[in-house]
Amino acid sequence: MAAPSLWEVLDRACNTGPVMATKDFDMKIFSVATRLTKEYDIKYDPKTPVTIDDSLADDAWNAGLQLFTEVGAYCMNSSRVIKFDESEIKQGLKELRGEAIIGEGSERRILKLRKVEDNSPPSIVCGGVIESNFPEGENFVKLYQSIAQEPLIDGFYVGPPLQSSEGRLVRSGTPLETHLGRSMVSWVREAIRRAGRPGLHFISACTSAIANIAAADPNEGLRRSDGIVSTIMPELKTDYENLNKIVYSHDYGCIKHVYNGGMIGGWAGGPEGALIVSIANAIMAVIVYQMSVGASYHALGYLRASTPNYSAFVTRPCLWGSSIGSQALSRNTKIINTAVAMTNAGPGTEMQFQEIVAAICASIPCGREGLSQGARRFKVVPLLGSGLENRFWGEVGHAMSKVKRDFANSLAEEMLQKFEHRITRESDGGPLGHTLDEIYDLKTLQPRKRFLDVYEGVKKELEDLGLEF
Amino acid sequence: MTKEEEILQNLSDAVQSFDSDAAIDAAKASVEAKISPVKAIEEGLAKGLRVVGDKFEAGELWLPHLVLGAEALEAAVKVLEGHMAIEDLESTNRGTIVIGTVEGDIHDLGLRIVASMLRANGFRVYDIGCDARTLNFIEKAKEVKADIIAASSLMTTTMPFMKDLVEALETAGIRDQYKVMVGGGPVTEEWAKAIGVDGYGKDAAEAVRVAKELVKK
Repeated sequence: MAAPSLWEVLDRACNTGPVMATKDFDMKIFSVATRLTKEYDIKYDPKTPVTIDDSLADDAWNAGLQLFTEVGAYCMNSSRVIKFDESEIKQGLKELRGEAIIGEGSERRILKLRKVEDNSPPSIVCGGVIESNFPEGENFVKLYQSIAQEPLIDGFYVGPPLQSSEGRLVRSGTPLETHLGRSMVSWVREAIRRAGRPGLHFISACTSAIANIAAADPNEGLRRSDGIVSTIMPELKTDYENLNKIVYSHDYGCIKHVYNGGMIGGWAGGPEGALIVSIANAIMAVIVYQMSVGASYHALGYLRASTPNYSAFVTRPCLWGSSIGSQALSRNTKIINTAVAMTNAGPGTEMQFQEIVAAICASIPCGREGLSQGARRFKVVPLLGSGLENRFWGEVGHAMSKVKRDFANSLAEEMLQKFEHRITRESDGGPLGHTLDEIYDLKTLQPRKRFLDVYEGVKKELEDLGLEF
Repeated sequence: MTKEEEILQNLSDAVQSFDSDAAIDAAKASVEAKISPVKAIEEGLAKGLRVVGDKFEAGELWLPHLVLGAEALEAAVKVLEGHMAIEDLESTNRGTIVIGTVEGDIHDLGLRIVASMLRANGFRVYDIGCDARTLNFIEKAKEVKADIIAASSLMTTTMPFMKDLVEALETAGIRDQYKVMVGGGPVTEEWAKAIGVDGYGKDAAEAVRVAKELVKK
């Protein structure tokens, strides 16, 4: 049997799938995930942030596959369940190619499936600033120029951080966002041109589909070698905005980038449930968002939905889930999987660098192709983001491709002990960090010495712990 | 343990074990034993749900447990409410809240957590869901005679809809009839002050504390 086409998937999402109340779908996820974690004996182990247990990764994979087969996906607009039988799912997974070409000219890169403890260099598709109210115009160009000028960066995530369009406040889903989608991409093109890398890949993440679509232009806008971000909503959910992004990416022929963030404490339950639900989410990305058609890659994140920090990605249970989820996907599929880890601390701080190291420990030695996103998610201020943390993702990402999982586990533990006590409600997760104009001299677009000193200090510490750069 | 203490414990345990059938049985036993329904709710069911809320806060239980615990409580209250005066039933309500995620924002998980925690703390909560229009908040608040309107946002680009809510209440001349509180990932206390709302909760626990303060005023 062939995998269902996109049109068949859309028919099920919009017309023919069984109607179910959202709450019933959510509770079914919880019930099935709870049963499967017991059946497969998956237990959260806080003492092992990076697992070396292959059978645990395979059990998590099988539980995730079974969960998706039993529950399916859910379309929030139509309230329809999008179900697939086992043979359709297996065929969809089989059609994945394990390769995606991004960028153009001298910036053309091939993202390839990396195995667990694969010592080939990863790709650094980094980013970006999330929710930081960056002002439109020159400082926005400088932000992405500061990222693009880093030689280890192979691509980056953009937006939606802008607060205004033509000086007017931008609200999500409004016509001003549509205009901004195009403007934002033009400014990014200018940034990568200034960095001398006009073919560098980037992915656009405006909230509304129309804002991304408006930016598509093979010359001056979003090219086919760039991408549009679609999201799987927690848990196993989609909506017409995201499906519109997929349909357009499919027809236009640009890269599909799918983000999936399993929520610890949400409908999946605890860390064990979030682990298998995030794997089911990844399978949904393949089948519903058609990752086997055209070029695509995936970003798997883990968030903690309950206190002390709603959006923290880099906590002990998140690292545990990330390390197993990375290995489960790498060992059992050809999904190109990148890391996503928005930090608790802001840019230019020792804690953010330590969090980045911990996130990479659970990613690169565990079979992820590359990395994406390193910006603080919680309680941000304008201009919060810079190229410096992207440089760090790149340098540490490459260094970590040479290590084994047991070393990654001990390094992750070292890092956690340095910062996890600082993730508190009172601190909003950690230090706020510094803005682009504080970290960089905007005339030369080079980091200031005090921040380079912090950077080099953390690197030296890592070298002392045995990491080779 | 007296018979009354035993029944109150059973009501609390039923909620803590998310067992709606057991909660209904315990409620029937409470009626037969002529225990005050208000006491059964406050010292049995609500006490149990507060324990569930505390365990959620401590990271020992998860959102579905809050939902299931609240369902058990509601099932038992349906049995009890046939045996109590409307004013007695109202006395068990700490306050009425209309809650939703603002227009353009489809993040609903934080919303569900805050709504569940408010329920666990004795509030009557009307959850109007995500991507909720400003006028929908107001219409629902009028319909249910709300004390508080609570709005959440997970994106800086949807936060301005919170300001619209305050302005729409002012335009309609009913701003003083409702307390307004806001929260969500990018929302800050400074933003809350700037748009003139009455309360801000940085997370679910704080939202509950703030809501309790607001209904006292």
